[in-house]
Amino acid sequence: MTSDGDLLHTVTAENISDSRKRLGKLLVWGTAALFLMLALLQALHEAGRVSAGFETWRPVLYAYMLWATSLCVAQVIVNGEKGKRTLFVLPAALFVISLVVFPLLFALYISFTDWNLASPTGPQPNGWDNMAQMWNDGFYWNALKNMVYYVLAVSVEYVIAFGLALLLNAQIRARKFFRVVFLLPLMLSPVAVSWMIGKSMLEVRFGPISRIIRELGGEPSFFSNPEIARFMIMAMDAWTFIPFMMIMLLAGLQALPKEVIEASKVDGATGWQSFKEVIFPLMLPVSVTAIVIRIIFKLKLADIIINVTSGGPGGATDSVTSFIFREYRDRSNVGYGTLLAIIYLVLIVIFVTALLKLVSRWMERPA
Amino acid sequence: MKVELYNYIKAAQKMNRRQMLKGSAALGAVAMMPKSAMAQDSENIRAEILKIPGVGAGSPTDGDWQKVGEMCLGATKSNVAEGEFDGVELTFMGLNNQNLHNFLFRGFLKPWEAYTGAKINWIDLAQADYNARLQQSIATGTVDFDIIEMGAPFEGDVLGKGLASEMPDWVKEQIDMDDYVDYLKAPVGTWDGKTYRVSIDGDCHTFAYRKDYFGPDSITGREVPKTWKDVNDITKELIGKEDPLTGLPAHGYLDPLKGWGGFGFYFLENRAAAYAKHPDNPAWLFDPETMTPMVNNPAWVQAIQDVMDLIEAGAYPTDQINADPGTTAFQQFLAGTGSMLMWWGDVGSSARTSDTSVVGDVVGFGINPGADKVYNAKASAWEETYNEAPNMAYIGWGIYVMATVEGDEKKKKAAWSAAAHLGGKDLSLWASAYPSGFQPYRNSHFRFEEWEEAGYDRDYVEDYLGSNADSYNHKNAAIEPRIPGIFQYYSVAEDELAKGYAGQYGSAQETADAIAAAWEKITDQIGRDNQIAVYKASLGL
Repeated sequence: MTSDGDLLHTVTAENISDSRKRLGKLLVWGTAALFLMLALLQALHEAGRVSAGFETWRPVLYAYMLWATSLCVAQVIVNGEKGKRTLFVLPAALFVISLVVFPLLFALYISFTDWNLASPTGPQPNGWDNMAQMWNDGFYWNALKNMVYYVLAVSVEYVIAFGLALLLNAQIRARKFFRVVFLLPLMLSPVAVSWMIGKSMLEVRFGPISRIIRELGGEPSFFSNPEIARFMIMAMDAWTFIPFMMIMLLAGLQALPKEVIEASKVDGATGWQSFKEVIFPLMLPVSVTAIVIRIIFKLKLADIIINVTSGGPGGATDSVTSFIFREYRDRSNVGYGTLLAIIYLVLIVIFVTALLKLVSRWMERPA
Repeated sequence: MKVELYNYIKAAQKMNRRQMLKGSAALGAVAMMPKSAMAQDSENIRAEILKIPGVGAGSPTDGDWQKVGEMCLGATKSNVAEGEFDGVELTFMGLNNQNLHNFLFRGFLKPWEAYTGAKINWIDLAQADYNARLQQSIATGTVDFDIIEMGAPFEGDVLGKGLASEMPDWVKEQIDMDDYVDYLKAPVGTWDGKTYRVSIDGDCHTFAYRKDYFGPDSITGREVPKTWKDVNDITKELIGKEDPLTGLPAHGYLDPLKGWGGFGFYFLENRAAAYAKHPDNPAWLFDPETMTPMVNNPAWVQAIQDVMDLIEAGAYPTDQINADPGTTAFQQFLAGTGSMLMWWGDVGSSARTSDTSVVGDVVGFGINPGADKVYNAKASAWEETYNEAPNMAYIGWGIYVMATVEGDEKKKKAAWSAAAHLGGKDLSLWASAYPSGFQPYRNSHFRFEEWEEAGYDRDYVEDYLGSNADSYNHKNAAIEPRIPGIFQYYSVAEDELAKGYAGQYGSAQETADAIAAAWEKITDQIGRDNQIAVYKASLGL
């Protein structure tokens, strides 16, 4: 580093010797070579090509951690002060690579194997077999179809949440009390909701709701008919998550500029007109955010279904996640289950990206 | 020790259990006793523990389990000195179904912990989570438990991979393995000639029915059904009638139509066994030469059709499509809904002793109903002859010690001592008489007079125990294959059956074909040659 010229952003002027630079590079490449050698050795050992090797992959992991640490240290050795600045980001980047990128790539590998936990041979690559199986798997397509219904239900949830937010934004009695009360379902775990409501209150024989219906002369049945069962799942999920949308919308409503609304009233707008022409358009950005986040939550819907119906009757309530759960947990079918999850991830990424693009284009549209 | 005496000493002297144990150990009386006196003592203990809490005195509680555990410590004391396992920590993995299994083990082992000084950590699992957790531990080499409550179907996975510890001879002696009913003796519990399993349960499905539904003046006016055809006919006839006990709608047979992590498939097996388990052929699930599924042969299709007929007729209680086997037994049959059920034997012990049961006085037992025809898979033809085949579903729970204890003799002895305590001869008698999740599995469990003394009436106990004994000793018992991944087959079958029951397949045959296709895939995935070898070995071929 030069000691002349603009030194405004320079903390120290270091002259790093060539030997120090060499040492740093040696450290990085040396540990990298060690890591790669061990990884190769272990891979060959696992494949049965060489007898030398370790019982587990743990030594390779240690070699990776040594390399990662050396890489960080070498930044300072080679680049001095500039290297220290790199250190603000490098460990985090390595962390992300280790815990996100690597597992994703590993999952991608697993998804093209026939790994079944009961198989004595462990994971064996099986080309496109899993993909072909998925293509012909009625359960998976059925679950995807159900997801469309579940996601569409968000629109109804949005309307209810907006209504509740408007109510809680109005000058009503005990407003704070109601705000807390309406938030309570969100604080419950969906597992608790599925047991308290799905398995207890809606239980056909003993459940209080069933008894009321029976008292009124009806015959309670909440999960036998595919449409009703799906609706009940939607309702339980909605009950849990409407407060979440509501609270976001309420925050949006409270942040609206009061002047504009008052101006519309001065201009003689009725309540409905001021909602339709002023409040709703102003709330669009918040609404879109709430809906998108809710859809992302919805795509992960599984716990209520697993607990209450196990996907039944005949797959009518199955979500992709609950199906993968069965495939993976009950059938120990790790390879195929992972492929399904990866494909679902790709579908979600495409869907959400398209949705956001569409929304941003729509929002930018001149009024 | 007599319960009253025990309670009296505790109350009068404010002694805690440990002190009392110390006192009795100090006497050393047990060791000094002649053998005949010890046998006498054992008989007394058996009689005394059966009085805790007593039939009709409500469900046993944690205090009762501890009391029983303590009174049955004699065998442990003869092999283990007090405080011998101080500082040893063991991890125990088991189930928490219906607040039984591990809940009882905790109570039974508490006095054992107090006496030996060992500490036990618990991993509780729901039935539906059990298989997955075990499979994952095996496949990823992360066995984080020292003792496991496990069913024989997993022996191929666990024992075959050398993950368990071989049973020391002193344990065999302590638990008196010769007392086991025959079908639980080797090869069950063994692998390559070595013994691994402390049995705590013997499994078979027996037929439970409501006596007030049958007989000349009853609501059906029929005799107890002998065949599945009769079961179906009666179930249909009951539509629209009223239950004599509860006044709610009467129902016949209760098929669980929802999966149960693979365990639900046993219930279709019950129906299918009568049609599909030919006396001349031990195989009834797969062709042992090729592993081709037999599940879509005419016998199995008939069983599926029988269920579909009842769905079609609207004979089940509302929402039956959402009822798993836990529901049919505990929320329906024992609570007074439905009149016929196939289940493990614990329905019999719970009927009289569980707080949630209302059918204790009107329940009768028998073996799995038969059929008027049986399918001969070798000849691909029906034979018009009466056939019955009790289903030995799951072959019972056992306690296994994992290889994690090898290398630490103190820990190993502690683990085996805990396992032996749970599988003890006297303690198991109590467990088979009260709600525990386990059913009788020793010849000594079938001494009716012991049960009678405990407060059961003779007829009931002969009926209940008789149904178990008849099933265990049946010549045409349908025994489960101990092949790797057996629950994967069952689980995928549950999914396809659910579709079939919901009317998404055109027929029973289509449903069965879908199951067969899914089974073929699993066999290929796990490895056909290996499966064929293990299947043949498990059938004794």
